[in-house]
Amino acid sequence: MSRINTTLRSKKILIDQFAHQGLKTLALLSASFIFLIGSVILVKGLTPFLTDNDGLGRVGLIPFLTGNVWLIGPTFQSSLYSVGFLIITTLYIVFLSLLISFPVGVLTALFIAKIAPKKLAECFRSVVEILASIPSIIYGLFGAGFILKIVYQMSQLVGVQSKGGNSVLSTVIILALMTIPTITTVSEVAIRSVDQRLIEGSLALGASFTQTNFKVVLTAAKSGIFTAAILGVGRALGEATAVSLVAGGRRSGLSFDLLDTTATLTTTMLEGMKESQGLDYNIRFSVGMVLLVVILITNFLLNLIKRKVGKIHVK
Amino acid sequence: MKKIIGCFTLILALLLTGCSRGLFNEDAKITVYTRDTTSGTRDGFMNGIGFSEAAKQDDLLVSGFLIKDNTAILNAMTIDEYGIGYISLSSLTDNVKGLKLNGVIPSEANVLNDTYDLKRPFMWMIRAEDDYPSEAVELLVQAFVAFLNTTDAGDIINNAGAIALPSSTTWDSIKNDYPITAEDNHLITVRFGGSDSIQKVAQALTQAFSAKAGNFIAEHDHTGSGDGWKRTNGDSKDQAEGKDVGFSSRNFTSAELANVNATQTGQLAWDAIVTIVHNDNPIENITTQILKNIYSGAYTLWSDLPETD
Repeated sequence: MSRINTTLRSKKILIDQFAHQGLKTLALLSASFIFLIGSVILVKGLTPFLTDNDGLGRVGLIPFLTGNVWLIGPTFQSSLYSVGFLIITTLYIVFLSLLISFPVGVLTALFIAKIAPKKLAECFRSVVEILASIPSIIYGLFGAGFILKIVYQMSQLVGVQSKGGNSVLSTVIILALMTIPTITTVSEVAIRSVDQRLIEGSLALGASFTQTNFKVVLTAAKSGIFTAAILGVGRALGEATAVSLVAGGRRSGLSFDLLDTTATLTTTMLEGMKESQGLDYNIRFSVGMVLLVVILITNFLLNLIKRKVGKIHVK
Repeated sequence: MKKIIGCFTLILALLLTGCSRGLFNEDAKITVYTRDTTSGTRDGFMNGIGFSEAAKQDDLLVSGFLIKDNTAILNAMTIDEYGIGYISLSSLTDNVKGLKLNGVIPSEANVLNDTYDLKRPFMWMIRAEDDYPSEAVELLVQAFVAFLNTTDAGDIINNAGAIALPSSTTWDSIKNDYPITAEDNHLITVRFGGSDSIQKVAQALTQAFSAKAGNFIAEHDHTGSGDGWKRTNGDSKDQAEGKDVGFSSRNFTSAELANVNATQTGQLAWDAIVTIVHNDNPIENITTQILKNIYSGAYTLWSDLPETD
């Protein structure tokens, strides 16, 4: 009897160990992809700065990061690339889109989590989840087919001739539409998990539901809401396909004009990628490197702010 | 609340009136659309309007131009009444207006009879007789060149966006003249190169032809029209990058043709480009000179354009 027990137990331990090792290998494998991707981008992206690019000359790091023209001189024959203005417009566009998507997203989440009746909330929740899973190219097609037209006609009404609607404004609208579902889903979870005792305490002290929702619930959930904003910024910074369909492909000059054409780091990487070669191809990896650094820095800064503001504990 | 609703109705009403077609404002700025510098269509267009410097260089173009791809330019001309752009002739639809060039209507017929100017020939060139890696490669190349003149190849060329030369021969009716195509050739590699603008067409052609010719391996390495001659009959033909078939998206120059037999070269297709504007734009005809002035920024308003009809 006891012999059977021992073999059973050792068999159990064996299976446990086996599963443990197997999962560990898988986890290591998926984690190692970041090194693989990182090193490929790094090696390709550093080539333009380290070699003479088949006689075109080395790309200077400082001019690359500060310049105001994507490429001076003919493609495939010049090494005078720069992304300075693109870094700034990228951040500018993401900031503007967050200005729209953040309040809309968070307030939608508040409604779904706290105010809407159960059935309505369920319905809205699934709609937002569907929105979050729509591929970016669909947003892009919507933008090219609809937003461009609206922005073009609106700008005509105010007496400005926009360039077919291709503008900062269209880009911002598309990015806001894309990030609202992300922000809503994540902040809804944060709002729902606010400690019920806090809310009851507030109500017991005589605060109205609206006061409680805005002053207690949102404050208590701010750490989670901030995470939502960070994810939204991440999605907006990395978006290429949809943006390239409405941005207009600006190649030089920093412009903050809402109705002027624009470009971001990602759209510049994407445009012409398929037909490119040599330095013009490698430089896109360098832009990718810059984009990764920009994303890392923004995430770091946002996390820093989050730690500063999000003191209240949220379960 | 009433005010908000009022505002919305006003905006909606304004939008609807905005949708109804207004008059074309001659004093509006021209919005210039272009492909990006890696595009073969841009290369063909800029060379065609005598502005070849701008084929690969963005800073020579009028400031404030837009970069879009073929479909996006087509789509933009349905929205932007004051835009001008160019697309490959095969993608022209009724939603936009294709402009006459120097008085000639952009149509397939006018491309084939050589009256429409904004086009370039797609040429092929093969190595000299007995100058191939093996006899099998030579026979396959001859079969491929014959295939280019068939209706089968014509369909593929038209599908890939170019305009095939007229033909009434089918591949089935001539394939018996090329017994090599009935053999198993899956170990034989044929090297294709030259113009990168033709790469898409060439790859579609070799993919279809390989299946008809014993599954030979088609190796594509397209580096530019200059290498169409250089790597088949020029300096580098016997080096590692040498090619069996070279393509060029322009006519071969007389210098290139000096050491080449007439049977070693020919045309497979035309690539035509059409200038497009919004349907509301009253302009019907344009000249290459005006196009150059628009793209270089000499003309910035529609009223700057001289009468051409």
